Amino acid sequence: MIAEAAERIAALGLSPARLARDPVNLPAIRDWLAAIGDDNPVYERDGLAPPAMAQVWTMRGLRARPDADPLHEMSAVLDAAGYTSVVATDCAQTYHRYLRVGEVVAVRGRLLDVAGPKRTALGEGWFVNTESIWEVAGEPVAEMRFRILKFRPGATPPASPAEPIRPVVGLDTAFFWAGLEAGELRIQSCGDCGALRHPPGPACPRCGALKPSYVVAAGTGRIHSYVVHRHPPLPGRRSPVVVALVDLDEGVRMVGELRGVRPDEVRIGGEVRACIVDGLPAWTPAGLADLPPWELAVTPTVIVSTALATRDFQDVHHDRDAAVRRGSRDIFLNILTTTGLVQRYVTDWAGPAAVLRGIEIRLGAPCYPYDTLTFTGQARGRDVAVTGRTGTGEHVAGTVRMAS
Amino acid sequence: MIARATAIAGIGATEFAKDSGRSELRLAVEAVRAALDDAGLQPSDVDGLTTFTMDDNAEIAVAREIGAGELTFLSRIGYGGGAACAVVQQAVLAVATGIASTVVCYRALNERSGRRFGQATTPPGLDASWHYPMGLATPAAMVAMVARRYMHDYGATTDDLGRVSVAARRYAATNPAAWFYRRPITLDDHRASRWIAEPLRLLDCCQESDGAVALVITSAERARDLRRPPAVICAAAQGSGTDQFVMTSYYRDDVAALPEMGVVARQLWGQSGFTPGDVRTAVLYDHFTPYVLMQLEELGFCGRGEARHLIADDRLPINPNGGQLGEAYIHGMNGIAEAVRQVRGTAVNQIPGDGPVLVTAGTGVPTSGLILSGA
Repeated sequence: MIAEAAERIAALGLSPARLARDPVNLPAIRDWLAAIGDDNPVYERDGLAPPAMAQVWTMRGLRARPDADPLHEMSAVLDAAGYTSVVATDCAQTYHRYLRVGEVVAVRGRLLDVAGPKRTALGEGWFVNTESIWEVAGEPVAEMRFRILKFRPGATPPASPAEPIRPVVGLDTAFFWAGLEAGELRIQSCGDCGALRHPPGPACPRCGALKPSYVVAAGTGRIHSYVVHRHPPLPGRRSPVVVALVDLDEGVRMVGELRGVRPDEVRIGGEVRACIVDGLPAWTPAGLADLPPWELAVTPTVIVSTALATRDFQDVHHDRDAAVRRGSRDIFLNILTTTGLVQRYVTDWAGPAAVLRGIEIRLGAPCYPYDTLTFTGQARGRDVAVTGRTGTGEHVAGTVRMAS
Repeated sequence: MIARATAIAGIGATEFAKDSGRSELRLAVEAVRAALDDAGLQPSDVDGLTTFTMDDNAEIAVAREIGAGELTFLSRIGYGGGAACAVVQQAVLAVATGIASTVVCYRALNERSGRRFGQATTPPGLDASWHYPMGLATPAAMVAMVARRYMHDYGATTDDLGRVSVAARRYAATNPAAWFYRRPITLDDHRASRWIAEPLRLLDCCQESDGAVALVITSAERARDLRRPPAVICAAAQGSGTDQFVMTSYYRDDVAALPEMGVVARQLWGQSGFTPGDVRTAVLYDHFTPYVLMQLEELGFCGRGEARHLIADDRLPINPNGGQLGEAYIHGMNGIAEAVRQVRGTAVNQIPGDGPVLVTAGTGVPTSGLILSGA
C-alpha cells in the first residue's frame, strides 16, 4: 500500500510552485545569524541571505496550511500506517546564487522514491527521498535533495548503537597504541639491527634480537591498495568506509581508514598523510589543509533558538516531553541548523568573501542538549570535507563546495 | 612416502540448506554415517577422527553419537577453510604410518542459520587489531584489498571476476544437490549485483550454508576391497607462506599473490609426479572469485596474471559441482567430495577422461590441497 502510494505520488512529478509567506527579509536573517552564531558581516552589509537559509524561506510555519506537496502527502500516508516519527538523514543543497533581501521565493517539490520497510536503530521505518527547487520569478536559485526516515517509534527506547571494534592491546604491541594516544605514529625498530617492521612482534625476524624499539613515522606514504567497504554494516560505523593499505615512506605497510575522499576518487599510488582518529591510524589525501577544530557547546537554547530561527516548528526540536514520546532521548538539533553550522564553520575559516555553491551532508548520531559538537574539516581545492562529532559519535559528515 | 598409500573410500553429506533446523552435531553424525555407509564400513571400524579447529563438534562427541569404539587418532587443523585438504592429510599421515586404519574427516556447520562468518564481529587476538578496527572486519573486505591490487598489477577487471561466478552457477544449475540448482546467472547479473567491498560484488562472494560433509580415509590396498572404487590420494599437502597472516598477508613484497598455495602446488606435483597438463578438472576453493584466478596461477595452470584468459577461454573445467559459489559453502569439504565423484565417474557434471583431479582448500590463509586419481 505504501509502495503503491509512493509510486502514485512520484508519478505526479514536480508540484506547482508554492510561494513563501514572506519575502527574504533582514529580521529573519539577523535572527538566523544570531542563533547560528555566524558573525559574517556580508549578509547584512550586502542584503544577502546566508545560502544555508534557502529552505528556511519556504518553511510552512507553526500553523501549516495543508495543501498539495509531495513530501507532505507521502508523510500523511506513512503517518496513517503508523510511521509517525521523523528524522532527516541526508541533505544536499546546491546554490545557483545567493538570495537578496526583498525577493519572493517559491518552491516546487517532487517525490523521488520511498524505500522500506527497513529496520533501523530508531525502529522500523521508510526512507523518503525528495527533491526541491527554489525559484525567484521562475529563475532557479537553489536545489535540494532531501532524505528523511519516517519510523514507528519503538515501545522501548532505541538500542544504543553497537560499539566500534577496538584493538586488542598486548605486551608486544602496547607501544604502538600508546604512540597514537601521544599523537605519534610509531613503527617498530629492532634495538640491535635497526630493521623496521609492521605489524610488530617480540622478536626481530632479521637478526633475532629480542630488543624491540620504535621510531616515529613521518606520516607520509602512498596507497598500495584499498577497499570500499559497503556491506554488512560495521559495528558503530557508517558505510561506505574506505580502508587503505599504505606504503609508508619508511618502508613498511600499514592499514588505516582513508578519510576526506570520495570512494571514486581513490587511486593506487595516491599520496596520503597519516592522522589519528579515535585512537586508530588513519589517512587523508596529501595536499589537504586542516581547518582548525571548532567546539560548540550545545545548550537547550541553541537547539530551540536555531529551530525557531530556521522556522522549523517540529515539536521534537523544542518540546522535550514530545521528543521522548516520539522515541528520542531529548530534543535534538534540526537538520536545517546542522546545515547552517556547517556553513558557518567553513565561512569562518574561508573568510567573508567565500561564496558557497553547495552543502551536502549526512546525519548520524543525534545532537542533544549538553553535547559538545566538535567540527573538523579538510580543504582540498574548493571542496571542504566537514565532520561534526558529539561524545557519542559522528553527528554529521559532509562536503561544502565553494565557488572558485 | 605417502603418495598413493591411502584412498578416500567413502563420502557422505547432508542436504545443503540455509536453515537446517538441526544441531551441528546431528549434521555431523548424519554425514559421517552416510560416508561410512558409502564405503561399506561400520562405525566400529573407525579408529581416527579429524576436523577443523573451527568445528564445534568434539571428536569424542561424534564418536559417541555414531557408536564408534576406541580411537587412536584425534586431530584438528586451524586457519578456517584452509584446513579442508589438510584434515585429509592428517588422515593420510595416520593411516600411512599405521597409527590408525580408518579415519573419518568431518565438517558440520550451521553457517547460515547460526554464526555467519561474513558478519563484522570482534575477533580475538592481536593480529586482527591491525585490520578489524580500521574497517577490514569481513572476509570479503580482506580479500578485496588483495583483489584491488591484483587488478591493478595485471589489468584484470570485475568482469573477469564475474566470469568465475557465471561458470560456477552454470554448473550448479545442473546439480540437483546445489543450492542454486536451475538458477544460472549471466555476466549482466554479476554486473548488477551490489557492491559488498569494492571491487567485490555480492556475486563474487560464495554463499552461506548449513550442512555437513564427511570423508572416509583408509589404505589404498584396503579401499580396493570396499564397496566403491577408491579415490587414491596421490598427493596431500599443506602450505604457509613467508610472513603469513590470516586473510591479511599485506606485508609481503607482492600482495597480489597466494604464495601459500605455491607451497602446496610444489608438493602436490612433486609427490604425485603429475603436471598441470595432466589434470582433468580442478575443484578450487572459491570463497571469493579473485582467489580462483590467483590459485590457477599459483598452481601453474597459467602464468602470473593470465588466469582470466584461461577462464574466458574455458580451457580447464573448474568446480563442476558449482563450487561454493553455486553448490554450498561447507568450508571446502564438499569440493573434496566432488573430486571423489569425478574420480569415480559418478558426478552429475562428469568431466570426461581419466586424468587426476586436483582439489584445494581455503586461500589467503595457510592452505592445503590434494590430487586424487583412480586405482
